[in-house]
Amino acid sequence: MGKKRKHTETEALANGNKEETAIERPKRTLLGFKDGSTEEENKETSVVTFRNKEKVLVTCSRRISFRYRHLMLNLVSLLPHCKKDNKVESKDAKGATLNELVELKSCSSCLFFECRKGKDLYLWMAKCPNGPSVKFLVNAVHTMEELKLTGNHLKGSRPILTFSSNFNKEPHWKLLKEMFMQIFGTPKDHRKSKPFYDHVFVFSILDDHVWFRNYQISCPHTGTQKIDRGDLEKMTLVEVGPRFCLNPIKIFAGSFGGPTLYENPFYVAPNQIRSLEKKQKAGKYAKKVKAKTRRKMHQLSNPLEVDEFADMWKE
Amino acid sequence: MMVEDELAVMNPENEDSDPETESEEEDEEEENQQVVKLAEPSKTAVYNRDGLLERLADISWPDNVDWSHRLNIDREEQEVVDVNDDLAREHSFFTQALDGARQMYLSFQSKGEPFLRPTDYYAEMVKTDTHMEKVKGRLLAEKRKMEESEERRKARDNKKLAKEVQAQKMKDRAKQKKQDIESVKKWRKQRQQSGFDKDGAAGLDLPFDEDGTKPFQRSNKKRPGVSPGDRSGGRATFGGKKFGGKGKGPDKKRKTREFRDSKFGFGGRKGLKKQNTAETTNDFKGFQKGEVSGKNKRAKR
Repeated sequence: MGKKRKHTETEALANGNKEETAIERPKRTLLGFKDGSTEEENKETSVVTFRNKEKVLVTCSRRISFRYRHLMLNLVSLLPHCKKDNKVESKDAKGATLNELVELKSCSSCLFFECRKGKDLYLWMAKCPNGPSVKFLVNAVHTMEELKLTGNHLKGSRPILTFSSNFNKEPHWKLLKEMFMQIFGTPKDHRKSKPFYDHVFVFSILDDHVWFRNYQISCPHTGTQKIDRGDLEKMTLVEVGPRFCLNPIKIFAGSFGGPTLYENPFYVAPNQIRSLEKKQKAGKYAKKVKAKTRRKMHQLSNPLEVDEFADMWKE
Repeated sequence: MMVEDELAVMNPENEDSDPETESEEEDEEEENQQVVKLAEPSKTAVYNRDGLLERLADISWPDNVDWSHRLNIDREEQEVVDVNDDLAREHSFFTQALDGARQMYLSFQSKGEPFLRPTDYYAEMVKTDTHMEKVKGRLLAEKRKMEESEERRKARDNKKLAKEVQAQKMKDRAKQKKQDIESVKKWRKQRQQSGFDKDGAAGLDLPFDEDGTKPFQRSNKKRPGVSPGDRSGGRATFGGKKFGGKGKGPDKKRKTREFRDSKFGFGGRKGLKKQNTAETTNDFKGFQKGEVSGKNKRAKR
């Protein structure tokens, strides 16, 4: 935007200079001559009007597993306004490097897929350069490559974003909704976007997780844009994918860092879950031994009565 | 901390259960279910409401932004869905998306802007053609599989039905046979009563004549004890009776001849007589296992 504004300013200056000497010739555009005065007005309004210039950097950590990498690539194909970058070493100082990277690529937000231990996927969603950022644990990943997901849609068509109404209940959900809307929504009139709408994103909160789905809109229409009510009833959706489920862990005030604004009170780290499982398995033998000693004690404390007929048939 | 309170209310049983008072077995059973989240919210969790709202105000777009920039739709409250019920969950997502798409379509139409892709608009798709080919192949394969299983099921059903029909037929046939025998007996009795007069016999209508079958036709079936090569149907072996002899010698001789003929065969092609039939193969009369083996053993020694 900055560039354009500059352009108009310089032009205005030039115009000012010219007006002193000669009547300005109407500017020529592709569609013919444009009236100079209206042009000026348009420019004035365009300064005020909002323009979405979201650009998303999508990267992942090193040693990401193929499934998660495919998920990332799917998201890249879904977001025409994103830039994919090389893998980043997942260290403690990754926040600084990522911030630098985002600035270098002149992006305004970042999706960072961090894979740990080759099995846990964390998704960082950050607005750069001054935050906020969210860290999610990603569950239930299904990529677009799965043959069960039979839909297909235009690459770069703008998605319709549907949110479940419980996004408006709590401030952290509100913040997440705004971030999803800005990051996953393709900017209007983006040069890579297509002028039609044929898919829907679903963001839904269930069980404190955000579930993501992507559906193709398929409508048996006859080529014309107008379809009547009956056809609207026939409108169906086919799932395109990918699917994933995001469990928010923390929300930070800055991008990739800063003071914590929200912490999921129910969150259990996957490492903890695994260690718990292991502990359970380890307890198996101890439990058996315990049961045995208990049985023995029980038998000792309650001895059987001597059967008076025991020797009856032995004589 | 409204969320926490709400969630705490959501699972009160977990809160009530004090692990130390409960028996150990039960406790471990509870643990066996995969722990995905804490039973009760941790008290130390940070929740900076003002900070969140501030950040939200920082990043959110101005309020007067045209709706076409956002393209978002909130779906009003649906019934509570169980997360672990896959079908219900997916259905709720689907309906949410469908409602959103319809609503969006209507609003686009009211503005007169294009919404759906025209059928003659071709551009790069998210999934490649080769991938879609695979998807199609899978769908077709699934369909074929279903059809095949359907066919197999049908065949099985048909077989069952045919078996039933066959049983019914056999029953009918047995019944018919019984009836026929009965009727013949009756006819005989009648004939006996009427004193074998030919008129009576002629006047009597034979019951098995009625249904078109010729009663005295020879059946094509083989007779028992007749070798397959014997064209006379075993009659040749017992043949000589009509020449009933007068002298004792030749008569006796003839009898022995007859016996031998019946035993070894007379006339006709020999090859077919020497073949095994089903009866002979199943006949173990001449086969004594123990004797043969014993002999062999002795021979070996």
